[in-house]
Amino acid sequence: MGKVIVVTSGKGGVGKTTSTANLGTALALLGKSVVVVDADVGLRNLDIVMGLESRIVYTSMDVIEKQCELAKALVRDRRVDGLMLLAASQKNNKDDIQPEQMKAICDKLRTTHDFVLVDSPAGIERGFSNASAGADEAIVVTTPDVSAIRDADRIIGLLQNAQIEPINLVLNRFSAQLVGNGSMMDQADVLDILNIDLIGVVPEDSGVITSTNRGIPLVYEDASPGAQAYMRIARRLTGQRIPIPDLEDKGLFSNIVKWFTRNR
Amino acid sequence: MNISIKQLFGRKPKSSSIAKQRLKLVITQDRFDVDDRVMTRLHHELAEVLAKYFEFSANSIKMDLKQEGNSYILVADFPYTKFHNTNMGQ
Ligand SMILES: Nc1ncnc2c1ncn2[C@@H]1O[C@H](COP(=O)(O)OP(=O)(O)O)[C@@H](O)[C@H]1O
Ligand SMILES: [Mg+2]
Repeated sequence: MGKVIVVTSGKGGVGKTTSTANLGTALALLGKSVVVVDADVGLRNLDIVMGLESRIVYTSMDVIEKQCELAKALVRDRRVDGLMLLAASQKNNKDDIQPEQMKAICDKLRTTHDFVLVDSPAGIERGFSNASAGADEAIVVTTPDVSAIRDADRIIGLLQNAQIEPINLVLNRFSAQLVGNGSMMDQADVLDILNIDLIGVVPEDSGVITSTNRGIPLVYEDASPGAQAYMRIARRLTGQRIPIPDLEDKGLFSNIVKWFTRNR
Repeated sequence: MNISIKQLFGRKPKSSSIAKQRLKLVITQDRFDVDDRVMTRLHHELAEVLAKYFEFSANSIKMDLKQEGNSYILVADFPYTKFHNTNMGQ
């Protein structure tokens, strides 16, 4: 029986879709069978981020309306074994789907796949309830800024009320340089505020933007720091114990630099 | 020690520590901010239970959240006019 994990955040634009695409691909690269589900009905993006937009025929809406079988609505990613996408309908809106219907889809998918990753829309409304309805676990994505963290805390409260556990944090767009000069909170600060488990830190990486332009998830480029971060998170999701490297350079040099850099 | 040297150099506090401080405050508030609908429901449910023991007019009940330091207190005033002795021991 596979796991259903909702990828969510509260605030938009913090990297939910990027994380779903990369973690889904990374898990498949590790030999797992995976379905990534776009729950952002009306504003679908997971298909284009993954480069599968031209191959979408059916959506979760068609499955719910019994226009097609669930298995037939899944688009197979031909670049890696075991990766499927279930797209969201672009012409409907979030209220056209009930949480129970999303849950039914997730429950069915988990019988045939190791991981079901659900890409949640921003917000705390219906779109969030739909995306989290079938979830056993959650990944909360945040960036290290005040609005994203405040919204993440709100979402964590809702997930806890729904008894979704564990809730793991992905800290995205992290910059060791900005932390070094005192203008960005570090992972310890963020964890102190949010008080949940950290599953990984993804650095700011221009490779994310270029790979999205191409529709080829970054994890295919082994050498990039973003890809390595996502691969490590995927390994942790499979139960491997991999320490989280401290991206903030605590060496003597950076401390000297810190003394001389102006406050931002 | 660290602080006094910083003060000597006239450094402003890092913006990241200000961010953390502000977030901690606002999140404590967010976490304790009870949904209005939940408050109304709680109000009704409490009144229902208390009506078994006391007599009071429904609109005399006041409920409020008060902050004291880091914790929040739910304060409820139920001014009653009569105590139903007959319900004792049931
Ligand atoms: N680690 C990163 N480094 C650089 N850019 C990133 C990173 N993560 C996300 N982005 C960019 O941020 C934008 C929003 O990301 P997206 O995954 O669509 O967020 P969400 O799904 O939460 O709205 C995209 O343009 C994406 O390329
Ligand atoms: Mg998105």
